[in-house]
Amino acid sequence: MPEVVVSIGPHHPALKEPVNFKIIADGEKIVRLELDLSYNHRGVEKAAEQRDFIRVLPLLERVCGICSHSHSTAFAQGIEEIMQIEIPPRARYIRTIIAELERMHSHLLWLGVAAHLIGFNTLFMWTWRDREAVQDTVEEMSGNRVHYNMNEIGGVRCDLTPAQVNAALARLPNLEERVNKYVDMVNYEETMLLRFRGVGRLSKEEALRYGTVGPTARASGIDYDTRKDDPYLAYADAPWNVVTDTNGDVYGRTRVRVWEIQESLRIVRYCLENLPEGAIRVPAPKNAPKGEILSRYEAPRGELAHFIRTNGTDRVERVDIRTPTLANWTSVAMCLVNQNLADIPVIVAAIDPCLSCTSRITLVENQTKKAGVISFDELIRRYRSRNPEEV
Amino acid sequence: MTGPLTLESIAEKMKEFGVSEQARKNRIRVTTTPDKVHDTIRTVQAMFGFDRLITISAVDNTRTLELIYHLTGPHRIIVSIAVELERDQPAMPTIFDILPPAGIYERQIHDLFGIVFTGNPNMKRIMLNEDWPADEYPLRKDWKPDPDTFYGGIKGERS
Amino acid sequence: MTDPVFGLIYIFIFPGFLFLFIYALFFAFLDRKIASRMQQRVGPPFFQPFADFIKMLGKEVIDPAGVDRVIFDAAPLVALAAVMTAYLYVPIIGNSPLAFQGDLVVVLYLLSLPTLVLFLLGWLSRNIFSAIGGIRAITQLFIYEVPFFLALLTPALMAGTWSISEIVLWQQKNLWFVFLQPIGFIVALIGLQAKLERTPFDIPEAETEIVAGPWTELTGRRLAIMDLTIDVSLVVGSALVAALFLGGPLIPWAITPAWLEGIICFLLFLIKTLAVLLILSSIKVATGRIRIDQLNDIGWKYIASASLVQVGIVLVMNYLWVYA
Repeated sequence: MPEVVVSIGPHHPALKEPVNFKIIADGEKIVRLELDLSYNHRGVEKAAEQRDFIRVLPLLERVCGICSHSHSTAFAQGIEEIMQIEIPPRARYIRTIIAELERMHSHLLWLGVAAHLIGFNTLFMWTWRDREAVQDTVEEMSGNRVHYNMNEIGGVRCDLTPAQVNAALARLPNLEERVNKYVDMVNYEETMLLRFRGVGRLSKEEALRYGTVGPTARASGIDYDTRKDDPYLAYADAPWNVVTDTNGDVYGRTRVRVWEIQESLRIVRYCLENLPEGAIRVPAPKNAPKGEILSRYEAPRGELAHFIRTNGTDRVERVDIRTPTLANWTSVAMCLVNQNLADIPVIVAAIDPCLSCTSRITLVENQTKKAGVISFDELIRRYRSRNPEEV
Repeated sequence: MTGPLTLESIAEKMKEFGVSEQARKNRIRVTTTPDKVHDTIRTVQAMFGFDRLITISAVDNTRTLELIYHLTGPHRIIVSIAVELERDQPAMPTIFDILPPAGIYERQIHDLFGIVFTGNPNMKRIMLNEDWPADEYPLRKDWKPDPDTFYGGIKGERS
Repeated sequence: MTDPVFGLIYIFIFPGFLFLFIYALFFAFLDRKIASRMQQRVGPPFFQPFADFIKMLGKEVIDPAGVDRVIFDAAPLVALAAVMTAYLYVPIIGNSPLAFQGDLVVVLYLLSLPTLVLFLLGWLSRNIFSAIGGIRAITQLFIYEVPFFLALLTPALMAGTWSISEIVLWQQKNLWFVFLQPIGFIVALIGLQAKLERTPFDIPEAETEIVAGPWTELTGRRLAIMDLTIDVSLVVGSALVAALFLGGPLIPWAITPAWLEGIICFLLFLIKTLAVLLILSSIKVATGRIRIDQLNDIGWKYIASASLVQVGIVLVMNYLWVYA
């Protein structure tokens, strides 16, 4: 059979995100692929330069629907460091709890998606049901299921009551039991082993060379984990280990993720049980001094880096977001070559791609159906002109 | 590499490439010139094992365009190599040949800031739509959205 | 078959096409319900497959550019007609009145037609996903068809007849083939699962890889009829396995009056087909999809050898015991 071009995305049941792969396949084997991310650039970075820190936080939270806390924490951390303020321990712990709950629900979601991609819908249904427990916990704590909006410059927005802590603790045993079950399934379930073993393999050298981050890197035996390398929040206090695996294939990445859920459960339990007393925020100055910082954060998908530069006002000069997905694309393109056509979804999903993180600039107008980039002031002006009485 | 790896030893070595300063407890910032970036990265790779590119940040400070390469390694020290480029016709030698993941960051910066990375084999659009005007770089400070123009230069009727 | 009215009623109403239609939709419902309960979901309401069928009949039919409409319209009907015809030779109440020597081969042949039609649809659709799906369907056909045929022919070999009804009669006198040929039974179930393209063998229509395979360009009534075809194949396949391995709708004792025996036989048919469905649904829930090259390995290495071993055992048993 001659070479055929299989175009996957931007509309495809396997990838519900705006990305396009042109896959050149020879029969069922992939020869090479081309990648196009240019469908949904939303202009978050430009927009972030045009508003003050308080307004930037909710904006950055909307960079991604899954790791929303990651972005706002990374940014808040960076600004706090530039301002040289220390957030209270209770705020650090609360941020950690939310961060780890977020990691848990992200990994459970991923496990379900990976199972769905190999047609194993039972596991998909089960993990998503258990993910609800995590999301309920977060909702009880913050009021929101997805965009928690917990962070403020200088601390967190709302405190945890003892009742919330107990409710969260009461949910943990069941979750632990379920996650142990998933660990068993990942290690022994026959069709999952068939589909995951040896697929999309990256050796340790390749993983280093292509700059992978997060579970993708750790599955290849690289123990980079920002939480240990550059401890932030309460990760220096809590007992936990960096999870690595030597398989380097999708199977390894799955194992790393389910083990990470177990570690997250431990961290959450520790933080809930040892929640320090005290204030949840300190007052932060309006303006930040001139400075620049590379704020690193271990998002569920890997290392997230916010490069922030301030210019002495209440706005940032530049915030440069490098998402883990962008760092992992290179490795995906490399390990897809010579693989089976049937394995594309699994390999691509194995890095847990998050396209909304990766492309960050565009605004589509509902009425004219045209895409364009507009400034925040323009948005406000337009909003006011459209709804004069509401503003 | 001689002796234990310390921040001082790296900072000392970096002096020959440019101004070196310690930014934070485990971070070193080196300010250098565009033609030395390649050598600097090769040196830190060879001598100190900085094998991992965290990201390439680009900043428009209205006078020049800055690029900052953040590298780290198994010792978890971060070295940030900063360069400044001219605003008109900015060009920069690629580091794609020594650090493959740089390719995708360079393409992104090319899209958003218009810096051309000479030697990068695949300098195509990645972030912006294919019908985005060729000479507009939205993250530059002097870029303002034209109120009458939408993507691809379509003159739009405003709602 | 002397009375033409009886024949027409048998073919068209009960237990023929009308009953088959209702039972197939009920099967589809039950299949989905079992799966959903195992996956801790609520599952569809009772009439959902019927509602889907009616809805899809009413939807617009879209012709992909450059498609031969006549063949595209006709192909699903051919598939449906084939499996419905196959159903007539399977014993439902007592023996099939249409039975003849060799109807087993006819049924197997007719059951293969939907797969060929799927390949044809995939090829005709002028869509890369459909084409790949069609090629996968035909590749899969070559893999499972040999063991499936061998597994279903071993009862015929032991019973010494090529008629399904006579095989059922043989089991009535002796023992169910599931006890005599357990390997054949397992291979037949796996083959049936593969024939119906259910997980782990839903490779030709792997949603996350090639959208819907040959189904991608099917719309409106074409899709409705093709869906119905698969539901009907599920019934026919289950009934075939039940007849060949589980003794079919016959009991070893004679019961008077005859109508009571008829009702009991019919209930037996329902119970046995539902039992087969339960096994098939459990397989569907408990597995993920395997790859076509892995299926190739497993199919030819293990499943085909298992069925050959079964044939060997049957020959030895025939020589030593059955026809000794």
